[in-house]
Amino acid sequence: MPDINALRLEAKRVLREGIVDVVVGFKPGDSPLHPQPAFFRNEDEVEELIHNGLCKNNLANYLTRLPKQEKVGMLVRGCENRSVNSLIVESQKERDDLYLIGVPCEGIIDWRQIVEQAGEHISLVEESETLVTVHTPAGVNSFNRFELLHESCQRCLYRNPISADIVIGDPVANGSLDPVAQKVKDFENQDIEARYAFFQKEAERCIRCYACREACPSCYCAECFVDHNAPRWTESGATPAGMQGWHIVRAFHQSGRCTSCGACERACPMDIKMTYLTEKLNHDMREKYNFECGMDAETKPPFQTVTLDDKNRFFLGGGN
Amino acid sequence: MKLILPKNDLPDQLRSWRKEFTVYLPQKLERFSHFMPLDDANARILEQPHNTRIPPKALFLPMTEALVKFTRFGTYEDANMEISPRIVFGMRPCDAQAVQLLDTVFEQEQYTDPFWVKRQEKTIKIGLGCHVPCANGFCTTVGYGPFNKDGLDVLLTDLGDSFLVEVLSESGKTLFENLHEASEELLNQAKEIQNKAHDAMPIAFETENLKEKIDQNFKSDYWDEVSRSCLGCGVCTFLCPTCFCFDIVDEVQRQERVRNWDTCMFRIYSLEASGHNPRPSRVERTRQRLSHKYAYWLDQIGLIGCTGCGRCVSYCPVGLDIRAMLRQAQSLPFEVSHAE
Amino acid sequence: MTAKAKIALFQCRWCLFSPADQEWVDTQLPENIHLTKSPCTGRINPLYLLNAIQGGADGIMISGCLPEQCHFKTGNLAARRQLEEFNDFLHYIGYEKERVRFLWLDLQDRGIIQKELAAFEKELEAMGATHHLATRIMRAEGGENA
Repeated sequence: MPDINALRLEAKRVLREGIVDVVVGFKPGDSPLHPQPAFFRNEDEVEELIHNGLCKNNLANYLTRLPKQEKVGMLVRGCENRSVNSLIVESQKERDDLYLIGVPCEGIIDWRQIVEQAGEHISLVEESETLVTVHTPAGVNSFNRFELLHESCQRCLYRNPISADIVIGDPVANGSLDPVAQKVKDFENQDIEARYAFFQKEAERCIRCYACREACPSCYCAECFVDHNAPRWTESGATPAGMQGWHIVRAFHQSGRCTSCGACERACPMDIKMTYLTEKLNHDMREKYNFECGMDAETKPPFQTVTLDDKNRFFLGGGN
Repeated sequence: MKLILPKNDLPDQLRSWRKEFTVYLPQKLERFSHFMPLDDANARILEQPHNTRIPPKALFLPMTEALVKFTRFGTYEDANMEISPRIVFGMRPCDAQAVQLLDTVFEQEQYTDPFWVKRQEKTIKIGLGCHVPCANGFCTTVGYGPFNKDGLDVLLTDLGDSFLVEVLSESGKTLFENLHEASEELLNQAKEIQNKAHDAMPIAFETENLKEKIDQNFKSDYWDEVSRSCLGCGVCTFLCPTCFCFDIVDEVQRQERVRNWDTCMFRIYSLEASGHNPRPSRVERTRQRLSHKYAYWLDQIGLIGCTGCGRCVSYCPVGLDIRAMLRQAQSLPFEVSHAE
Repeated sequence: MTAKAKIALFQCRWCLFSPADQEWVDTQLPENIHLTKSPCTGRINPLYLLNAIQGGADGIMISGCLPEQCHFKTGNLAARRQLEEFNDFLHYIGYEKERVRFLWLDLQDRGIIQKELAAFEKELEAMGATHHLATRIMRAEGGENA
């Protein structure tokens, strides 16, 4: 469990010493289920800083939203650290303007599962490494923590921040690659009708609210492809072609840029699955190009690095 | 007219309506409920105290609808407006009140939206009151309540093994022809349930002078503070039963002019062709959203543009809570000296 | 399928070195094949493919130059990575891989494109129409609910 006192002390220190202009973390929300991303600019404000399993947002998202010239301190878990690296590779922030306070992560709890199992009137949620205890008017229930985690966190490969300036907390064991790869292969091995049926069923619930896009640290384009009228890449309304086009392309634009954080799925108000799409692309980046996004702040993703070595990789000339 | 419908008779009642109407009722979709047409296999009413994820405004203002068909050669054709008669069963009072509020937008003296009007005309709305409070709703705060009757043709009260059926309009009457009148005892039971439910809804913020506080603090730093973590997605607006903004776009590739749901929370919503954007950041856009609902609606029709359904609170991806934002607004001073 | 397979052809304008081939493509392309020329295959945004599929194409052919022969040096290499991945991705979600065909042409190739298009057409006809991936449809009326 995160050492809140130590986190607060460090946040206060970097503000006091002028190392950063703002520390991005979390504070309690108005509901026990929904802590909010928070921006601390002085030591007094830091008293509100918290960090727990219900903090469901990828804070790296805010790096492209804060003023460019600000020096930013940020509490980062494994995926957030890699997202930050990915943004540095894409020149969205300089490493020198960042102070990363690393927090090893035991996974983000899916609050909707809590509501599903314990009802919607939740007065308090307590966590330990193994249990989540939920207080409701009807009584107190405890649940297995791992089972309540968001799917992305259950299979997370990088739970520890890899390039933070300081890490506060004990390292957490990572998930292994085999089940992750297997999941992609299992989906691929289904017959084509089943694959399409799944994709269609998920995509057709879409309401084009773009919460997935706004929650994703890699989606920071000033003009998204859906905002274009000329060329008109795909329809902008909640039509079958439009909804499918949105999911296909948003996932595809994450090739080599996605850190499997799952913030997209957690933001979706219609419970649409999308990580099965990005996980396929992440899997291909690993298999074909030996690339994992965000492992450092220098390596460019595969679509930015073409080489003649590819010439024998794909189809040869003259007819296929 | 107050009648009794035993719950056991409900499936047959729903099926009998299907001969003439398409019956929409909340049905399970993934982890939530959604208004979908009843097919025979699903003649069950969902036992849940709260409302659907997507509000039933979607049945009157669809997420996407074609307005005009056109061809490359310059010919036009109005969209086909055949709407078959429908019953919406199980609308919560907050959502029904919201649809009625939207009537003031789409059915004005000078301008009427034929698509909205047609759908309203062809729809009978049967409401279901909320006998237990939902987690984040605040209907009583904004002047309504869990058994509010506005916008409904019929209101049902859950009495345990039957429903009290309060018929509120002529079209509602035609649907419930063979039911018995409610006894004095059941009427009292219903009254008690309704009053208890009303009292159980917590008051989330003070509405008195809220509009003035909002109006007079246009330039306050408050707007920046409350919107810091806002992502600018469309969840709150699309799930809101009173939001009605739409975008009209020519889908040239399929030769239709289409109206889609839009949201003031997107940057491009107010982006003008010149490149100027009067609401350039989340600060202005959040100010717009709160002001529209709790100040400008009052200016225009004298009612708050929010019915307290609570969806924006439950589903905001960053946990922003409009109730807390308004409590904070109430703590702002009345008159601010504008140091220009 | 009784109608001929609809093919969207994305062609880089340098890949057909013989004037006869280029003229054939410019003037004698069968009606069921829709041509879009681009300066380089590297310019071909995967979204063009998606747009063609959503517009009702039964198959897509991309014609470009071999590596080391790209007029813009590395354009076709970028195309290879992106478009190959996109094809793989579409296959993953249920759109047959065989419907997207790449044709990388050598400087010396002559008369290949006609043969390939004819062969591709036959294969698509054998595959039949696909109902996977929604196409743009006219919304006949004021629409259903969400």
